[in-house]
Amino acid sequence: MRELIGGPNFSGRSAALLQRLSALAPGNAFFVGPYAEAALSGLSSTVADEIAIYRSDAAAAARAFAPLDFAALAARKPPTLSGGEQVLLALHCFALSDFTIIGIDTALEQLDPANRAAALDFLSRVPSATLLVDNRLDHIDGWSVRACEGAPAFRLDLAAAASRLAPVRAPTIALEGLWFRYPSGRDIFRNARIVLQPGTTYRLTGPNGAGKTTLFKLLAGVLAPKAGSITLDGGAYAPWRDGNRIFAFATQNPDHQWCGATLGEDLSRRRRALARHKQIALPDMATLVDLAAQLGVTSIDQHLYELPLVARKRLSWLWPLSGALPWIMFDEPTIGQDRAACAALAATVTRLAALGHGVLFITHDDDFAATIAHTRLQLADAAIKA
Amino acid sequence: MTPNGAIGFGLILIAAAGTARGLTGLGVILALLIAFALASRRNIAAALLWSLGIVAPLAAFMALVWIGFVGRAPHEIAAGVEGSRAAAATYAATVCLRLFIIAFAVQALFLRFAGWTPLRFVRALTAPPLVKKLLVLTLSLIETILQAIDRARTALVAGGLITRRFSQVNLRNGWLLVQTVWLTVIAIAIGRTRDKWPIEGTLSRLDHALAAAAPRPAIADFAWGAAAVLCLGIVWGLR
Repeated sequence: MRELIGGPNFSGRSAALLQRLSALAPGNAFFVGPYAEAALSGLSSTVADEIAIYRSDAAAAARAFAPLDFAALAARKPPTLSGGEQVLLALHCFALSDFTIIGIDTALEQLDPANRAAALDFLSRVPSATLLVDNRLDHIDGWSVRACEGAPAFRLDLAAAASRLAPVRAPTIALEGLWFRYPSGRDIFRNARIVLQPGTTYRLTGPNGAGKTTLFKLLAGVLAPKAGSITLDGGAYAPWRDGNRIFAFATQNPDHQWCGATLGEDLSRRRRALARHKQIALPDMATLVDLAAQLGVTSIDQHLYELPLVARKRLSWLWPLSGALPWIMFDEPTIGQDRAACAALAATVTRLAALGHGVLFITHDDDFAATIAHTRLQLADAAIKA
Repeated sequence: MTPNGAIGFGLILIAAAGTARGLTGLGVILALLIAFALASRRNIAAALLWSLGIVAPLAAFMALVWIGFVGRAPHEIAAGVEGSRAAAATYAATVCLRLFIIAFAVQALFLRFAGWTPLRFVRALTAPPLVKKLLVLTLSLIETILQAIDRARTALVAGGLITRRFSQVNLRNGWLLVQTVWLTVIAIAIGRTRDKWPIEGTLSRLDHALAAAAPRPAIADFAWGAAAVLCLGIVWGLR
């Protein structure tokens, strides 16, 4: 049995998936959720241990699925893998296990095209029952389709959110001689250089684990390079030392960006932090609250972690859409989003660039990227190639 | 050497450190511990530095209070004698060296099994399945906290609330990191226990993963165990 569970956001697909799994194999169905803690066991300190937990002597040889060199990754901590690598590890564990049913909730959207195709091929030939939720697929040959229809919650109005944006003058960013590597890892960047022009939209491409998110973290000051410099219009910029005052960063997992427990706490703390940079024109609190409502969250007392993942993901676009910061970074913004939301987001990204913002985005969603005029930046061989 | 033998060795030395009353006895224990660490044929500098880092705050505090302010050792105060700063320094050094030995013993065990994964180590222990499971869960909680620290730091740095390097902003907003880490740990734990674990029965997979007969004791277990017992005897004799 292979089943694709379709429908728009908030139509009950995830709930239907979990109910089906519980009904078909209570407490004995492999599950790959849309974020790390629902994709991996959380019981292992290394990739080798994660595999050992699931490995079974009874696993069928026909289930082999090893798109990555897991032997080389054996000592890595699973949370340090990229989102796509975590999904591939989960599928590898399933392949080695004795589970006879698997459910996947939008996790394949994190995979690059080659790995995604390999994963879908694996799921289509593996002798197991498979249930899949995926926003980028309407049908798969040989699979049945179950459509969910539910009343949409967390109404999204990106057109209204984007309508308040005003022109900005973003600086030109130059990266010179950038070197970076994680402790006891390979070089992610080696003497990399690139110039990023304002008013331009850049798409970072490269396979899972190439360093796309790492580049975002370097630009936001979350990581510090081993060597190299960043300049803004020729002036030195070291966000790892002085703080981030340029980039509004919507992270791949929205839970990597909350600065408070509730929406109100998050907004007020960020406003206070950004207020120390005189060059930032901060939106007032009422404007931000309106913007949050247009993204689907109407109460500032809303506890962020209690929102559904799709709603949290949309809310993670708030600061990029506030226009407060001149450069914007979206990391896999369409994960979990239905086609209507993706189309609206693409139009918004286009508008941001037209108003003078610089935009960097990472996506494995080629359909989404095709709707945005962009310059491609290829990450390969520890370099950034335009 | 097997994990059982290594843990036995470590526990005997920690017991010896608790028993030792003077610097000489502690010195004997430290010498054996360093020999044990060197026998792992790995670089022990980082382990020594890490252990020093653990002890340094206590050493600074004790130096300030006992040598600087009090100027006498506790046993001198109890005996009602005038005392000296030298005796206070010996007292402070003894306490700090004892803590250093305990910290370094843990590090030396890590060094010995540096090529092992935690699951392999726990699997090789002679312990009831429930204890092994609790050990794995404890390790997983530690990993979760480390993961939460990374996430929270990403959020606060990218949000401009703190900086990666030391800064005045960090002094003002550093406490937010604690709150954010705590929230993140809860969010991660809920994410696991709500979806992944109940659907898969993930915890029950551990029974299979941890089920293995403990390896037979090796010659090294007996050799290092005998050395530890001898060391304990020497320390006891020096009391």
